[in-house]
Amino acid sequence: MVESTSNILETRGISKRFGEVQALYKVDFSVRKGEIHGLLGENGAGKSTLMNILYGLYKPDEGEIYMEGRKVHIHSPQDSLKLGIGMIHQMSTLVPEFTAVENIVLGTEESGSRVRLDFSSARKEILKLSEKFGLKFPLDVKVKELSAGTKQKIEIIRALYRKAKILILDEPTAYLVGDEFDQLLKSLKVLVENGVTVIFITHKIREVMQACHRASVLKGGRMQGTVEIDKTTKEELVSLMFTGQNIDVTDSALPNVVPEPVKRSEKPICVVKNLNTRPIVKDGIVLKDVSFEVYGGEIFGIAGISGNGQKELAEAIVNPSIIASGEVVINGNPISNLSTIDIFKMGVFYTPEDRVYEAILPTASIKKNLLLGHHRDEAFLEKMRTLRWNRIKGVSKELIRKFNVKTPHEELEIRKLSGGNIQKVVFARALMNPIDLLVTHNPTAGLDMSSVKFVFEQLLDLRKNGKAILYLNEDLDELMIVSDRIGVLHEGCLVAIFHRDEFDKNRIGALMIGG
Amino acid sequence: MEVVNELLKQMVTYTPIYTLSSLGLVLGGRAGIFNVSGEGTMLAAASAGYIVALQTGNWLLGILAAAAMGAAFGFTLVAIHETTKVSQFIIGISLVILGAGLSDLLYKLVLGVQLFIPEAPKVPEIRIPLLSQIPFLSAFINQNVVVYITYALVIFVYYLLYKTKQGLELRAVGENPKAADVVGINVTLTRYVTTTLGGALLGIAGGYLPLVVTGTYTPNMTNGRGFIAVGIAIFASWRPERTFLGAILFAAIEVVALQMQLSDTLIPYQFFLMTPFIGILVVMWLFKKKVEFPASLGKPYSRE
Amino acid sequence: MENSISSARLKQLWFLIRPYVFALGLAFLFTGVMLGLLGFNVWEAFKTLVTTSFSSRFQIVETFKKFTPLVLTTFAFAIPFQIKFFNIGSTGQMIMGGTIATILGLGISSIKMPSALAIILILTAAALTGAFYSLIAGALKAYHNINPIVSTIMLNFVAIQFTNFVATTPPWQAPLTGHPMSKELPEWMLLPKIFSELHVGFLIALGMVAFVYFIMKKTVIGYEIESVGHNLRAAEVHGINIKKTTLVTFFLGGMLAGLAGGIEVLGVHGRLVEGFAVTSGAEYGTFGTLTALISGAEPLAVPAVAFLMSILLNGADSLQRSLMVPVELVFLTQALIVILVVTMRERFKK
Repeated sequence: MVESTSNILETRGISKRFGEVQALYKVDFSVRKGEIHGLLGENGAGKSTLMNILYGLYKPDEGEIYMEGRKVHIHSPQDSLKLGIGMIHQMSTLVPEFTAVENIVLGTEESGSRVRLDFSSARKEILKLSEKFGLKFPLDVKVKELSAGTKQKIEIIRALYRKAKILILDEPTAYLVGDEFDQLLKSLKVLVENGVTVIFITHKIREVMQACHRASVLKGGRMQGTVEIDKTTKEELVSLMFTGQNIDVTDSALPNVVPEPVKRSEKPICVVKNLNTRPIVKDGIVLKDVSFEVYGGEIFGIAGISGNGQKELAEAIVNPSIIASGEVVINGNPISNLSTIDIFKMGVFYTPEDRVYEAILPTASIKKNLLLGHHRDEAFLEKMRTLRWNRIKGVSKELIRKFNVKTPHEELEIRKLSGGNIQKVVFARALMNPIDLLVTHNPTAGLDMSSVKFVFEQLLDLRKNGKAILYLNEDLDELMIVSDRIGVLHEGCLVAIFHRDEFDKNRIGALMIGG
Repeated sequence: MEVVNELLKQMVTYTPIYTLSSLGLVLGGRAGIFNVSGEGTMLAAASAGYIVALQTGNWLLGILAAAAMGAAFGFTLVAIHETTKVSQFIIGISLVILGAGLSDLLYKLVLGVQLFIPEAPKVPEIRIPLLSQIPFLSAFINQNVVVYITYALVIFVYYLLYKTKQGLELRAVGENPKAADVVGINVTLTRYVTTTLGGALLGIAGGYLPLVVTGTYTPNMTNGRGFIAVGIAIFASWRPERTFLGAILFAAIEVVALQMQLSDTLIPYQFFLMTPFIGILVVMWLFKKKVEFPASLGKPYSRE
Repeated sequence: MENSISSARLKQLWFLIRPYVFALGLAFLFTGVMLGLLGFNVWEAFKTLVTTSFSSRFQIVETFKKFTPLVLTTFAFAIPFQIKFFNIGSTGQMIMGGTIATILGLGISSIKMPSALAIILILTAAALTGAFYSLIAGALKAYHNINPIVSTIMLNFVAIQFTNFVATTPPWQAPLTGHPMSKELPEWMLLPKIFSELHVGFLIALGMVAFVYFIMKKTVIGYEIESVGHNLRAAEVHGINIKKTTLVTFFLGGMLAGLAGGIEVLGVHGRLVEGFAVTSGAEYGTFGTLTALISGAEPLAVPAVAFLMSILLNGADSLQRSLMVPVELVFLTQALIVILVVTMRERFKK
């Protein structure tokens, strides 16, 4: 129940521009004391930008911020911390090498003394808070060894240790499944009972309806309105979030597509047998005895929380050097001694999960980006290993047209494109030549709804043409929309495979966290 | 016996060159700034220290001038990097070149071209009575003032980094500046302070050369030691206690190489002079798997 | 209509050269002030600095003679720098190249063979020496992740000692000389000259410019190098072998530096002389690094900036000779130009 109707935090007319993109435009936003307030909007709507301004990491171009009726100036996190605002970011902002105690105590005053004598009083305080809010975690383990969910708990306690009155949570459920989400909700309720105000940023309508008292909707950087949750419907929220009529979305704001029945191939295109891998990063996870098959005409989804082996599985198929034992067979050919380029030439392609850091060359032209992975294709080479730039240019123009990439020409630096258009280039590159197997990892991360729809269309198209898709995604909602089957990875093991008619969010979610 | 003692003494005398320089690197490095300008910083500081000591007749002013020059170089590195985000390595290498040019220029301008290079006032030794009779120990404590300061500095930096609140914050900046920023630590200020102070240490190491070791200034007198310091900082995993050990090792190598050069062996002396440099390569190769470093080392940080 | 197109073009051009203009302007301002404070005639000094290279046929040749090794050491830094690795070892690679060239030359000096064959043999050996010497650092980086800044510098110092050894030890040492140097190489082994004093090394250097351009712009390996420079991780994911690319860039860079060493020995000195890789107060390798930082890696920008740099270097020599301005002042100015160019470039990128 909302205690009072006074605003604890308010923004008036906040605008922010990044280069040519207007991220926020004259946003008025207010939060009442003691409520859980949802900030809803699709990817790119400006939610994180607004919150980063409140937290002092970004400076607004114009506009004002008020706390409890008083105008305030927030120039850095030091200011927002003093005002009692705490933020838990989507990507962990803990120091990986430090323990939970060190992270929580970092930057705070220690009874005015210059020397860190001991953490004993801090530890007592931390344990008290942990107990009170039901957020438990090991105190003396290096944070880099903990799961994302645990790290999140530490970050919340970190804010509460500094007596935060307002807690901003940016997409807190990105790494939570099933039970963990319920636990988080419980903790939030306890927080609110203790006088803390919570701002909950998300793009999932369902979560807002479950957790929040009120919600404000951002679209394209503009505030669309604020509603009381018990007086609103999913449809109203959808209409606020998206433009255009006939928006058919699920309650996690995803395009509501239903794959048509497609007959899958007789023989599997990709066979993985007893696969064990080497770690990709120091002390990283390894796959243990993973076996499955992917057929033509099907989308085989892989569910799993980040860090449980999804990346390793995707990489093992295109980079056999990380295979320790077991085999991967594509169209009857084992790939263990092949190079990535050879595997691509066999009719496989891979779109990695981190669009900017792994999938593209940000400062290169669209043309050169399309060439990546195809730079040793016979079609592009003269006899003397020189590149046929004219041909490459022509193919680039073709692909830009075919995939409807919004750009004046192929020489534009790719990082100037929007996220959705970049993903179009990534797919154009993957689908340049006919392929039999597409390995794609989190292809829709951070994309707005129409771009997500584009990705789904590409995948379903491939499937219709009898090709195989290995679809790795940390978002279970997305997997359940387009996959024919879903395999669950937990700690490097493939623990179960579900057929579409067996899809059960709770069961799959439970297996993802090891239940 | 006496010979060993003398050798030991010389080794201890040479240690501050390597200790101060690598310690200066560690200080800035722990906040994320990879300072490769050491060679140029030390040269410029050597020149400045020598000139000031000569002109004023005061070794202390010389050391201070060297420290100030070093601090100026450190400050320049961090200031340019923090305001423009240009690569720390590019700035560092440019400063190496700048320092080399500046050191010779200063010298030429103040002293002109001379055949006989005057000696500057050297840093005095301090002999502790009684203890200085004990062999071996005497090598460590009949030393000049800077050596004692160096011992103290190593302990101080270690304590600072690992036992104080400031040290925790400093290390946080080097590991994950975003995390530090988010809890209200001033990342920029931390980097400015540590790199400038680190530069000052490099400067003292540079000034040490003319004011303790040789007595005069010669062009390129650092002879690669600024880069050896980088090597030491790397294989010591940016830990002050390990850089001290590394510094002892390379001081020993230098002293032994000098001795072998003077003695009558079949091996041409040039190969002894190569030993410190090959030594760095060997040591870096040996420690390659165990090397750790602050995660944000060398990377620019900005909020947006 | 026409006016607006050409003024748009001009604006684009201005944006392109703006950082360089500012950087040069500030640097020269600083130099001018320094010169004035030190009592030199500023106008005379600048005139000498900039116009010496064009003042006579001899001076033009001298400028080209500096350009030849400089453009090569510039590429030596610039090519590995494409993939964000710092090859500061071009000094060592160059002098190793020159040293091996001398050893080989003295070794075959009594064998009868056509001049051209000897020259090709020796220059190839010099180039390969530089290439493999550089490869040590490249391999240490590729396989053991050892920072090339440290390893290439260490190798520089090793090379300096080795060269000193060769120049002061029989059978190579020239008898009865004070300064370390080797015996003279026979006349028929030296590079022939064109335009009276300019050795053909100049043409070889120009040929190398074309070669680098071809590799970087037209071949697959050039595309791979460029891609690794843009984003190592993405390049790796899409099948580019990072280790191989690293080795190739260090090999190419070292090869060009080694070649420069051989050319200097065969074309300028006719023997190994300690300090042969030094000009105007610093090593060619150092100036190459400076030049590369200013020019960037564009294969066509490199010779242009290297040529401008050669003019400055030649002018600096003349400045010291005629006006007694310490050559270090120009050296300092160049370092300043680099810092200013690099920072202005970043500033103006926004």
